[in-house]
Amino acid sequence: MDWLSTLINGLLLGGLYALFGLGLALVFGVMRVVNLAHGEFIVLGAYAGFFLVGWFSTVPVWAMLIPVVLIGYGFGWLLQATLLNRAVRSGNVLTPLVLTFGLSVLLRNGMVELFGADSRAVDAGALGSASMDLLGISVGVYPVLMLLLALALFASLQWVLQHTEFGRTVRATADFPDVVRLMGVKPERVFCQVMGLAAAFAMGAGYLLAQRTLLTPFSGVERMLVAFEVVIIGGLGSFWGAIAGGLVLGVAQLFGQRIDSNAGSLYAHLLFLVTLMVRPKGLAGGRA
Amino acid sequence: MPLLEVDNVNVFYGDFQAISGVSLALAAGEVLALIGANGAGKTTLLRTLTGLHQPRRGRIRFDGADVTGLPAEALARRGMAMVPEGRMLFPSLTVEENLQMGTLTRRKGPWTLGAVYEVFPVLKDLRQRNAMQLSGGQQQMVAIGRALLSNPRLLICDELSLGLAPLIVEEIYRTFERIRGADLSIVLVEQDVARACAVSDQVTCLLKGQVTLQGASRDIALAQVTAAYFGE
Repeated sequence: MDWLSTLINGLLLGGLYALFGLGLALVFGVMRVVNLAHGEFIVLGAYAGFFLVGWFSTVPVWAMLIPVVLIGYGFGWLLQATLLNRAVRSGNVLTPLVLTFGLSVLLRNGMVELFGADSRAVDAGALGSASMDLLGISVGVYPVLMLLLALALFASLQWVLQHTEFGRTVRATADFPDVVRLMGVKPERVFCQVMGLAAAFAMGAGYLLAQRTLLTPFSGVERMLVAFEVVIIGGLGSFWGAIAGGLVLGVAQLFGQRIDSNAGSLYAHLLFLVTLMVRPKGLAGGRA
Repeated sequence: MPLLEVDNVNVFYGDFQAISGVSLALAAGEVLALIGANGAGKTTLLRTLTGLHQPRRGRIRFDGADVTGLPAEALARRGMAMVPEGRMLFPSLTVEENLQMGTLTRRKGPWTLGAVYEVFPVLKDLRQRNAMQLSGGQQQMVAIGRALLSNPRLLICDELSLGLAPLIVEEIYRTFERIRGADLSIVLVEQDVARACAVSDQVTCLLKGQVTLQGASRDIALAQVTAAYFGE
């Protein structure tokens, strides 16, 4: 029963990890850019949440996810429009990589300067400590809701990409950015929308994470690593691969900690290494 | 007034000059065949016309307005469509989704999905297939249909027959006659010189980025075209 409990809790943790990877997979799938500032986007979401919850204490904590996600979209859109599109246009794959690395350092230190280096968390209230019975095992309501939200977001994104004009345009832009110009589409605008969505997912995930754990401005590096591993295990640019990668990583981490309580994320990182060796293209082995 | 006017256009790739002082004019409803050997600058000129590449010197006027320097997406919305060399269908999209991409210019006109399926009936049955699963000829039909769905005033076709079997080329050119209309002008790059002259109103021959022959197709002998093609 203990192992089943570990499995369930690993899957619940994996839902959050999958959300970390979703934005990274989306940006890579469409723009072929590895956004090294993705971890800082996650932490920014957490900090946006701290302040919003503090300023609007009468609003339920869960409802604050909406403004955090909207702020994330606007932030990502603006960042792409003002900075990242220039790097993507350069045609050199290293330019966006170096730029986002610099951006991550800037954001991290900016957050230390503005908010200090103290650990913070968002109090999820009664929902944070509520539990329910699942297959005879007591699990937290909040992690279950988080997993369901992650699955719903993945399904919604997949539906939008497959069945709407916007999704068609995003997929076509990912294939040939120059050719969509001949159809009246400005690829830079599509990139802005995609980065907006990626930042919205990342900041939303960061806000949810802040209700589970303490965060500092330096927490982005570790989250970036998780997001990166999720995307690699899942298969670069694949959304369903990302959710599978997140779940596998979450389970590996908790099983590892069960075997060795001092292991931390060691077993999750080992799984990542094994995946790279055995299946370098990841579980999905293709693009979204 | 011509629909398209190209005036002394010069195009460079870095220091290399690919197009030197090319001028041409095309009236509404006319077909212009652009011919020349490999490396003559045909595709560069087409990319310049569609805004995918910008000229360093010279002017381009389209539909009464100076469009020099406008990006491809702005020109597409003004009514310029292209069937690119190698077709460039979107591999992530189905046949119908590829066709629907043409409608993003939001231009009104006679071309609808139904009209395209009438011209290329074979595509209707294949509409849910991934575009890359089609034969070369069927892919070319999708590329033409996608361009037509933007309801263009100028259709630019780069090497329609490239890599296709002769029978398929015949079929493509039969439909080509059907899509020609009073309001649709066409610039056509074609390696088959005889066919290019037969289907066009005007011929422009390029050699090393310069115009070596220009005139009405009916007034130009095939021997003249061949001489201009090889620079004899």
